[in-house]
Amino acid sequence: MTATNRVSVTCVGCAGSKCRETIRAGVHTNNPILVQVIGICSALAVTSKLETALVMGIALILTATLSCFFMSLIRNITPPRIRMIVEIALISVFVICFDQILKAVYWDMSKQLGPYVGLIITNCILMGRLEGFALQNPPLLSLVDGFANGLGYALVLAIVGCVRELVGSGSLLGFAILPESVYQTNLLFVLAPGAFFTMGLLIWIVNAASPPKPEKKP
Amino acid sequence: MRSDVRTLFFAAAFGTTCALVLTAVSRLAAPYRSANEKAEEMRNYLSALGVPFDEKASAKALIEIFDRNVVVQTNGRLRIYAFVPAGVSQEAMAFAVPLAGMGLWGPIKGVLALEPDLRTIRGLRFYQQEETPGLGGEIGAEWFVRQFKGKKLVSFTGEPGFRLVKKGMPLDENSVDAITGATMTSERVQTILRDVAAKVAEERGRHDRNE
Repeated sequence: MTATNRVSVTCVGCAGSKCRETIRAGVHTNNPILVQVIGICSALAVTSKLETALVMGIALILTATLSCFFMSLIRNITPPRIRMIVEIALISVFVICFDQILKAVYWDMSKQLGPYVGLIITNCILMGRLEGFALQNPPLLSLVDGFANGLGYALVLAIVGCVRELVGSGSLLGFAILPESVYQTNLLFVLAPGAFFTMGLLIWIVNAASPPKPEKKP
Repeated sequence: MRSDVRTLFFAAAFGTTCALVLTAVSRLAAPYRSANEKAEEMRNYLSALGVPFDEKASAKALIEIFDRNVVVQTNGRLRIYAFVPAGVSQEAMAFAVPLAGMGLWGPIKGVLALEPDLRTIRGLRFYQQEETPGLGGEIGAEWFVRQFKGKKLVSFTGEPGFRLVKKGMPLDENSVDAITGATMTSERVQTILRDVAAKVAEERGRHDRNE
């Protein structure tokens, strides 16, 4: 009883069932990669290993959540004519902060991710969520939306990273699963084409299992 | 008119806020970041010189290994890092000189290690570069730098220099394969190497006179 109460209380700020719907949309029914097929450049580049894929996923969850929340906070005072510049500036601030922190405490990872953390700024998922969602919705719901879309992206990256690391190098998170003496490194999966195949198959499987519903006409 | 003023005011306030946040974060992270960069540089010097060390050593341990085995001396225009193995001998086993120059998109920094004859290349590492990933960026890759080992910084006529030649052309001990599709980067790397070759030749002259 109390549990249900608490859930409904936390969700008042983001209009009840809309909250759950938003999470479902971001993670599954309107997943940025599987359904909208946007922002896949970085998804192809950083998924050769599970570890880099996870860190990149975390980076996107954090930056998407924060920028959606703050954009929604200032949505009513932002002059419409410069809103896109404001969106990009806001995204850049969070991405650069994350990049700096990564360089300070997690140097090896920052070296492996190379320019891709900085390139989150140009990731269309973030811009799309700010422009398409945060500008029309209250802060808390936008925060949930940013988080859900980041999570949707991170999950896909993790799955692709798993498949590529396992098939490509026979290991997971750097631990050898298949002994090196038996398993020959599969370059096809370590290099970019592996990402295309894995991602394509994943998109196919998910869309075949639950076909996207045709959009309702207003 | 009023809305223009409002837009300007908003842009100024928003920009200032963003700038303040960025400055604060960058100031806070700076000491840690520069320590990591320093350790990265040392790791490259150690591995180019062939000093044995643990790949996973911490920044502090790297600095300690570096201080124990490497003697830094500045001769004229050139800074030389000599590898004098601790407790083994007084003779330098190898020398390293820093490489620096402009690449295609940004500065390139690296280290070139030489055998004691100051002619033969022992190792080459690039630890800072912003070349095109997949093309010019390959100068950081193992296959590219491995080619340099055992090559000479002087041509067979004794002229200091080095050449990066198109793939498929015959190679001598003074040249290696350039990177296909990265002509600009290859040219710049060649310029950097020639520059260093000239400086090393000067140093070699001084060396020979002293002996």
